[in-house]
Formats: sequence, structure tokens, C-alpha cells
Amino acid sequence: MLIFTRKAGQKIRIGDDIEIAILEVKKGNIKIGINAPKGLSIHREEVYQKILEENRLAAQSQFNETLDFDDLDIEKSN
Amino acid sequence: MKIDTTRFGTIEIDNNKIINFVRGILGFPKDKRYALLPHREDSPFFWLQSLDSPELAFIVINPSLIVSDYSFEVSDDIEKSLELESPEQAESLVIVTIRRNEINKDKKIEMTANLLGPIVINVEKRLACQVVLDPNKYPVRYEFN
Repeated sequence: MLIFTRKAGQKIRIGDDIEIAILEVKKGNIKIGINAPKGLSIHREEVYQKILEENRLAAQSQFNETLDFDDLDIEKSN
Repeated sequence: MKIDTTRFGTIEIDNNKIINFVRGILGFPKDKRYALLPHREDSPFFWLQSLDSPELAFIVINPSLIVSDYSFEVSDDIEKSLELESPEQAESLVIVTIRRNEINKDKKIEMTANLLGPIVINVEKRLACQVVLDPNKYPVRYEFN
């Protein structure tokens, strides 16, 4: 892992088209601005992990629960 | 085209029914092509079956059937990558997780829907992706059964 020390107002550039700016440092919080090409997904790591884990669980649990699931269809709303 | 699946055997999918994910569902980056198969006649559930991995399928449901006021905004970036030009082209689905409830015996199966990471589909162009919403507003496990 590459480690930089930066101050508020300074930036880091990754490749030609990704720019990460340190906007503000206050009480243990760091406000970061990111300029990146469209189509590149950027997420908070913990939110990304949460969805990823739930997706993995969803892909698995259905496989084992198929029989019970059949009896449990909720009614289709009109 | 003919597709092998673990759950449904070999199925025939029209090429124009294939849903192409512009980015894979999180955790499954290599699976980009899916088909939507009805679970049963009159069932509100569908299977989102990967055409790239026979064993990979997600149970999905139209969120309006389980939660009345679910809405979210799609970023410009996603609008662009899904080639969305009007709201009518967009359809959303949420992934359902089913787990066994070990504590409450009256309710042995617990069903939750992932409202935090819905799937948005451009139904005309058949382009889709999973979007990531604000965790302060949307639960990853919304219980509905």
C-alpha cells in the first residue's frame, strides 16, 4: 500500500484522470473530494461490503431453502 | 440460445431477453448476462439467473409489492451507463434473502429484501446494474414475510 501524508487543500492524482482532494480535516473526520471518470463506481467501503455480503448470502440461501420457499409465496398484490 | 442452469436444467433464452449488466452484481463481477425467469405462475417472485454461471441465481421481487413508499434517485452516471432517457424505461427489482429463523419457531423462514442495493433495469435496452443507495435511508435487510 502506498501511503501519503497530505494536508487540507492538497491532492493526490492516480493515473491521468483520477484526482483525490483532501478538502477538510476536522475532529477526526476527513472530507475527501474525488474526481474520476464516469462509469467508475465509487462507494464507502462499509456500504460496499454490506451489499456484497448480502448478495453472497442471497445467492446461497435460496439454493438451500427452495422447498420451503415454495410454500411461502406472498400473495401477488392487485 | 441454450443455457445450462443448476436449478432449472437447460433452458432456452431468446437473445433479446438477455439482460446485460454494465457492472456485475457486487461480489459477482464476472457474471454480466442474466435472464429473468418467473418463479411460478402467479408468483410475485422471479429468478435472476446468471447465464455465465449455471449455479448463480437470485430471487428478486418488484419492491412496490412489499414496501409502499420505496423510491430512490438514480445518479446521472448510472442514467448514462444504462442509457436511460425516460423514467418509463426504468424498472427496479430488489434481491431477496431467505434464512432459517432459529429462535422463533412459528416463523421458521425469514425473508428479507435488500433495499440498499436495488437492481435498476432499462427494460427497453435490457441494460442493468446494482446501485448503491444511502445506508441511512435504506436497509440491507427489510423483513417482509
